[in-house]
Amino acid sequence: MVGLVLVSHSSLIAEGLRDMVAQVAGDEVPVACAGGTEDGRLGTSAPRIADAIRSTLDRGADFTLILLDLGSAALSLELALEEFDEADRARLRVSEAPLVEGAVLAAVQASIGASIDEVADAAAGAASMPKMPGA
Amino acid sequence: MPALRLTVLDPAGLHARPAAKFVKTASRFESRITITAGDRSADVKSLIALLVLTIRPGSQITLSAEGPDADEAIRALLEELGAAVEPVDTGVQPQTQP
Repeated sequence: MVGLVLVSHSSLIAEGLRDMVAQVAGDEVPVACAGGTEDGRLGTSAPRIADAIRSTLDRGADFTLILLDLGSAALSLELALEEFDEADRARLRVSEAPLVEGAVLAAVQASIGASIDEVADAAAGAASMPKMPGA
Repeated sequence: MPALRLTVLDPAGLHARPAAKFVKTASRFESRITITAGDRSADVKSLIALLVLTIRPGSQITLSAEGPDADEAIRALLEELGAAVEPVDTGVQPQTQP
């Protein structure tokens, strides 16, 4: 099973997205949030991201796809990734996909038992998905 | 190849949540399952393809499957859709087994 980590500057965004993901994909996909800073402000935190990643691996994710919002999220994520040894690092993949669409598409793909490549590809497809197809 | 023509009744069309359930059901089967709306079609096992198809209420769709478990797949998907669709009355017998 592939797990997901949702990284956002806002804990509300990350947690709201986790709820959306659970509704479309069910509870079996390990999803963890890393939203906001340790003291509850807007921002990202490397330790919180590392904790979220670890929690997906601990909950049985063979691989974890990490989705992030923007700006310094990438910087915090880089720091968080340094916390992991090579073996665990090989189980982690960072997605370029837009956070909301990417998470939903990835979660549905993960829920049907797809491989990390398939889940990452599903998320990547979100980047070119039209908001109003046929409109 | 079993194929079924349906009219979408659900006022929201085939939107994200039902589409996701649809993908999950389709993925249980080996057959290639295609949904066609107008002149466009999508692999039912791909959520993104299904969402981009934008199936609106009132639209007619065709569900077809090809493979060893095609009949079972069509039956399962029809069950999944439930009251969200009704068969299009074409005046001919449906191609699937009852």
